[in-house]
Amino acid sequence: MTLSLVLSLLALALVRGTPILLAALGGVLSERAGIVNIALEGEMTAGAFAAALLSYFTRDPWIGAIGGVAVGAAVGFALGFAATRWRVDQIVAGMGINLICTGGAAFGLIYVFNQAGVTPQVPAINQALWPMVVLGIALAAALQWAIARTPIGLRLRACGENPHAARAAGIDPLAVRLYASAIAGGLAGLGGVFLALGELNLYSDGMIAGRGFIALAAVIFGRWTPIGAAGVALIFGLLEALQFALQGNIAWLPSDFLQALPYIAALLALLGASGRYRPPAAEGKPYP
Amino acid sequence: MNRESAKALAIGTFGVAAAMSLAMIASHVSPIVGFNAFFYGAFGGKQEIAETLASTTALLFPALGIAIAFRAGLFNIGAEGQLLIGGLLAGWIGTRIDVPPAIAIAAIFLAGAIGGALWGAIAGWLKAARDANEVISTLMLNFIAASLALYLVTGPLRAPDAAGPELSLLPHAYWLPTLLSHTRATIALPIALLAAFALRYVLDSTWFGYRLRAAGEAPEAARRAGISLSRVALWAMAWSGALAGMGGAALVAGELHRFNTQLSPGYGFIAIAVALVGGLEPLTICIAALAFGALESGGLALQAAAAVPKDAIHVIEGLLVFALAARRYLGARGAGAR
Repeated sequence: MTLSLVLSLLALALVRGTPILLAALGGVLSERAGIVNIALEGEMTAGAFAAALLSYFTRDPWIGAIGGVAVGAAVGFALGFAATRWRVDQIVAGMGINLICTGGAAFGLIYVFNQAGVTPQVPAINQALWPMVVLGIALAAALQWAIARTPIGLRLRACGENPHAARAAGIDPLAVRLYASAIAGGLAGLGGVFLALGELNLYSDGMIAGRGFIALAAVIFGRWTPIGAAGVALIFGLLEALQFALQGNIAWLPSDFLQALPYIAALLALLGASGRYRPPAAEGKPYP
Repeated sequence: MNRESAKALAIGTFGVAAAMSLAMIASHVSPIVGFNAFFYGAFGGKQEIAETLASTTALLFPALGIAIAFRAGLFNIGAEGQLLIGGLLAGWIGTRIDVPPAIAIAAIFLAGAIGGALWGAIAGWLKAARDANEVISTLMLNFIAASLALYLVTGPLRAPDAAGPELSLLPHAYWLPTLLSHTRATIALPIALLAAFALRYVLDSTWFGYRLRAAGEAPEAARRAGISLSRVALWAMAWSGALAGMGGAALVAGELHRFNTQLSPGYGFIAIAVALVGGLEPLTICIAALAFGALESGGLALQAAAAVPKDAIHVIEGLLVFALAARRYLGARGAGAR
C-alpha cells in the first residue's frame, strides 16, 4: 500500500467519522447531564432535512446550515423538556422522537417537493467540509476541557451523577439537563448538516442510516468523555472507509461482511469490555 | 379497564384524530374525505379488513416479544433483526423439507422461533456474561442481521428462481391457510392471539414469569432473593427473539410465501410502539396491534385515495409513543425501573 493510498484512506475516515463524532459529542453532553439520548438519530435526520429544505428555499446554504442546527436543537429541547418537566421515560420518548423525525422528513419530502425519497439538489457548502472536520475535532478537545475543568462542566457532571446534591449546591438540575439536551440536539443537527450540505447537496430518506445509533455506541465505548467518544467515532469512520477501500479487492471476503464490519466491531468491543463502562450514576433517572 | 387507562385511551384517540386532521388539512384534503378514505381503507370491505388483520399479525408477534424483554427490564430494540433471522430460517426450512403440510407449517414456525431466539440470545448472553448494554447490542445485531441475510441469500443459499434478494418459493401446500379467501389474512393471526394468551399466563402465573417481572421491577431485591439476573436476561431475550422470529415465519409462510430480505418494512420498530401503547400487557397489546394495523392499512388507503403521504402515520405513531411516555405508566412496569 502506498503512502498516498493510506492518506486518502485516512482522509475518507475523517469525512465518514465526523458526522458520527458531532452527534456523539452531543450524546456525551446530554448523558453527562443525566439524559439518555437515544434520539440522536432523529435529531440528525431533522437537522439534515431542515438544512436541505432551508437551503433550497433561501438559496443560501449557510442559512440552511444554521437552520439545521437550530432544528436539531429544538428537537433536543423537546426531549429535554419532556424529560425534565414531564418526567418521561427517556428511552421511550427518544424512540417516539425518532419515529416523528424520520416520518416527518418523509412526509415533508412529499408535502414540499411532491416527490418521495429525495430532495432536488440544493446549494451546498462543500467547500466547508474540511473546516467542519477540523471544527469537530476542536470541539471534542474543547468539550473535554470544559467538562473536566470548568465550573459549568462540574455542574453538568453533578446533574448527571447526583442531581440532589447538585440541587443542594444551588444548581437547578432541570435547567442544566434541558440546556444540555438542546445543545446536544444542535450538535447532532450539525452532524446532519454535514451529511446533507457538506458531503452532499440534498436530503434523502434513510441518509442518516443508523449513524445516530452508532454515535450512541461511540458515547458508551468512549466512556462518556468527549475525546473518547470522538476517537471511537473516528474509528467507526475508518472502518467505513476500509469498507470502501477493500470492496472488490479481496475476493474471498464477501462485501456484505464488509458492510457489517463497523457493527461487528462494536459487538466485539462490547464483548471485550465487560463492566468497564460505568454510565453517569443518575443517567436516565427523572429528577426530582 | 380502570379510570386512568380509560382517560388515556380517550385522550389518545382524540390526539390521533386531531393529528390526522392536521396532516390532511396540510395536504389540502378535507378531513371528511380523508377520514372516509382512511376508514374505508382499514375496514371498508373484506379485502380491506384482511389487510388490517395482516398488519395486525405482523406487528403482534414482535410486540409480544418486545413486551417480554421490557418486562424483564431489557430494552430489546432488536426485534427487527430477530424477525429477519427467524424469517430466514423459516424460509430455508420451508424449501428443504418434504412432509405433510400441517407438520411443515409447524416446522416453519418452530424454525422462525429458533432463529429469532438464537439471535436474541446473543444480546442476552452479552448482557448476562459481559454486562453489555442491550440497547447497543440489539441495535448492532439489527444491522448485522441485515447483512448476514443478504449475504446468505445472494451467496451460499442463492435460489435458482430468485428474482431479488430472496430464497425459493415455498411449496404451495405449505402456504398458511387464509381466514378470508384470496386475502393476506391467514391463520397466523389466531396463532398470534394464542401466543398472547399463553404469554399472559406465563407472565402472571408461572415461576418463570414471576422471576422475570421481579428482575425488571426490582432487580436489586430480586438478586438478593436469589434470582439469577443473568439467567433471566438470557432467557428473556431468547423468548423475546423467539416471538419476533415467529413473526418472521408468519410473514414468510403467510404473505410472501418465500423469504426476502425486504420482508419487513420496519415492523420490528413499530412493534416497540405497539408494545408500549399496549402497556406491556399481552392482551392489551392485541388491541394496540389492531389499532396500529388499522393505522397502517388505512394510512396506505389514505395515500392512494387522498394523496396524504403514508409517512404521516409514522409521525402520528411517534406522537402517540411520546405522549405515552409522559404518563408515568412504565415506572412500575419493568422497563422504566432500571
